Order: sequence, then C-alpha cells, then structure tokens
Amino acid sequence: MRQAGIYSGVVSGGRSGPHLLPLARIKKIMKKSGDDVKMVSGEAPIVFSKACELFIEELTQRSWTVAMQRKKKTLHKEDVASAVLATDILDFLVNLVSDSNNPLDLAPVERETLVS
Amino acid sequence: MERGVGFHRYRRHAKSSSASTMVLPNDSNNNTTCNGDQQAPPPPPPPPCMVREQDQYMPIANVIRIMRRILPSHAKISDDAKETIQECVSEYISFITGEANERCQREQRKTVTAEDVLWAMGKLGFDDYIEPLTVYLNRYREAENERNTSHGDQLLFLKRGMEINHHGPIGMPPPYGSGYPMGHFSGMLDAAAAMGGGGYYRDLAGSGASSTAQNALASFDPFVQFK
Repeated sequence: MRQAGIYSGVVSGGRSGPHLLPLARIKKIMKKSGDDVKMVSGEAPIVFSKACELFIEELTQRSWTVAMQRKKKTLHKEDVASAVLATDILDFLVNLVSDSNNPLDLAPVERETLVS
Repeated sequence: MERGVGFHRYRRHAKSSSASTMVLPNDSNNNTTCNGDQQAPPPPPPPPCMVREQDQYMPIANVIRIMRRILPSHAKISDDAKETIQECVSEYISFITGEANERCQREQRKTVTAEDVLWAMGKLGFDDYIEPLTVYLNRYREAENERNTSHGDQLLFLKRGMEINHHGPIGMPPPYGSGYPMGHFSGMLDAAAAMGGGGYYRDLAGSGASSTAQNALASFDPFVQFK
C-alpha cells in the first residue's frame, strides 16, 4: 500500500503551492535562449521552477552576506554585484550586474581582503 | 532610470524574430531599427527608450517572495536589487538551457529534457542543486503516475473519503483505518483539490471504478467540503 503524502513534495513541498514560478514563462525563456532551441520536454520547466527557487535563494543569501558585512539593512544592486563577482559559478552574470553606471570593479569587501 | 541590459539578452534580442522583444513606449507597432530583425545588419545598442519587457522575466512578486524566505524580517530590498535578481534568474535559465541544448545537438536529439537540464547544471558548477532537483523531479513523476492510473484515482478518492467523510462507512481496507497517520495529509489534499482535484471525480464517475468506490460515491457527496 502506498504511503500518505504522495503529493506532499510536489503539491505543497512544505511551501505555498505546486510550482512557485510560472512554467509557461520558463518555457518561453528557455526557447529564447537560442534560435536552435526547438523543443522542450514537459518536465524541463518543472526542474527549472525548483532550480530557480534554489538559485534565487543562493543569490539572495550571498548578497545579504555582503550587505551585512557593509553594515546595511537594505539589499542593493551593488551587494548582488559583489556576490556575483565573488562567486566563480556566477561568472556568467558578471556582465549583467555591471553597467555603465558602475564600471566593473572589485567590491570594497574584496579589496579589504586583498589589502590585509 | 537607465538600466543596464544583460549582454546575453541583447544578443538574443538581435537574433530573435519575436515581435515582443523590443517595444517603444508610445507606439507598439513601430517598426524602427529597435525591432529585432533577423535580416538587418547588427542593430545599434538598444535605445534608452526601450521598455523593460516583463514576459522575459519571472514575475517579480514571486521572486520577492522567495527572497524573503532567506532574508531576516527586518531586511529591506531596494527596487534595483529586485530587478537585478529577476534578470539574473532569466540569465540563469538561458545559460543552463544553452548548455543543455548543445548537448542535445551533439547527440542529435531535438528535445531538451529534464535530464539534459540536470546534466548542464552539473557541468556548469551547480552540482549542489542536482540532488534536491532529482528528488523533486521524482516526486513529481510519482504524483503524475498516481494521477494517470485508475488505481491512483481510487487511491486518492479513498483517501479523500477518509479525510472528509464522517457520514458513514466506506468499506475501506484495514490499512486505512484509525491507526493511519492522516494529520499532516489534510493540507496536501486541500492543495491537491485546489490544483484540480475535481478532475479526479469527473474521471472516476465516468470510468469503470471498482464497486468499493462506487458504493462510497452513493453514500456521500465528496464535494461537500469544497462547494
């Protein structure tokens, strides 16, 4: 006999709803990632819906750590930028977080580490 | 406020033939050089008037909700941080999908699958995600299998019966008796009902359900709680 809670991980997952992020939107973004992305399986957006949650959580955690080191209570874009610069696997975001207003530069946090 | 546009996204706009990528604020039908025209020579950098298209990002409310799970309650989030993370998510999806798609092409497959996505995440350094995602995917697949088999329908229906029913006997097999831990299950069922539990009842009514289920149907109204 099957156990109770078959739906638990998927439906509520201990959280608010089946999927926190809209699958159709994910699929749209996947298809736009290249001209040659033709077909996407039904499950791929579902994996991404959870992966994006994990990604947002990780990025937020790292950014907040930077903000705390700077003794701030508000998370700003430069905290996110510093977190991106400090994390190897987030290299693909480097161009995104730097723009003409904030030329690519080591964050003060990292500079302190280098000096000491 | 002028906002930086992701390098990768700019390139995708240049290649994309979708009409929705670039919009000028006052004239949405305007076919100027702002349009991503595949035949045109490489377009100039996007003009400052370009409106931020929301359909290429995850909804910001959802992004914020997830961020708030991590942040302490007193923390504030600036608007530019919210938008930056929103853009990063889309970039993440594109990044992983690009790698997954390359693998599909190398192996001459047309469809990007969940396995391709997981593989790409491992290759690009997101190994920590693979295990929780695999668990999530397997639970999803289990749930889909339950939904798609008539046995699953009956099982779900019988469990609902236990949940709602105090009207009378259902004739359930002993394992579903009082010793069965149902406390935490109620939340799940409510969510499942919201998701589309009504569909199960339609199927069950139409299909050749077992006599147990049919007798149960006759004895009480499963929708009483949900009306």
